[in-house]
Amino acid sequence: MENNDVNKQLPKVELIDGGPIRISGNIILEDLKRDIATRGEQTVYLCTCGNSSHMPYCDESHLKKFISGRE
Amino acid sequence: MESDKKLEPRGRRYQGDEITVYWKPSACIHASYCYRELIEVFDPGRRPWVDVSAAPTERIIEVVNMCPTEALTWKWNDDAKNNLVTSDQTNHVLFKRPELLEVKEDWEEKPLSVRIMKDGPIVLKGNFTLEYSGNKKEVKEGIISICRCGASNHFPFCDGTHRKIGFEDK
Repeated sequence: MENNDVNKQLPKVELIDGGPIRISGNIILEDLKRDIATRGEQTVYLCTCGNSSHMPYCDESHLKKFISGRE
Repeated sequence: MESDKKLEPRGRRYQGDEITVYWKPSACIHASYCYRELIEVFDPGRRPWVDVSAAPTERIIEVVNMCPTEALTWKWNDDAKNNLVTSDQTNHVLFKRPELLEVKEDWEEKPLSVRIMKDGPIVLKGNFTLEYSGNKKEVKEGIISICRCGASNHFPFCDGTHRKIGFEDK
């Protein structure tokens, strides 16, 4: 992402198959359960499998899920 | 009472003494504000799931106005009162939520709102590009919710299943 092009760049939301969702760009991330918020240019990987021990972030628990044969 | 879909474009209808609440399933993104705030009235496990007699009218209006889409809307049964409602009543049937109005010129500058709902989905609101399973699209002034429990039948989108499986994030 070029600095001089930052206003033209839409935040990008990408679901990684079988894994987390990657969100990058100028965002406001609010975690209502833990009452924390971060704002500004950033890239985050958020858990979508329900098993992370570091919610809302991915901790690669989805890999264990596959290995153990659970859906 | 069964509602006629042609007559009720706002969806299913729940009439109380003072107000009528509408629910349009196709617009619901399961952001879950309604039942987290007021389970007595909005109980997804009950049929009918909306009971407008279970809380004071003012409180029901307050919670319906929290709905981030137009899935939940409301109106006074007394039409004279509807004409006096102001636009801060975001989900009154006469108004459109500001973020659902026409795209503004400065849409590129606003940060994307990413909200992690308590024991619920990720709600994305704003402008962004979305890529999943080979699909790529640009969303402008949009709102979608992404499954976080892993059990949605419409993955990657939330369909409310987190509640059925008792998803609770650590």
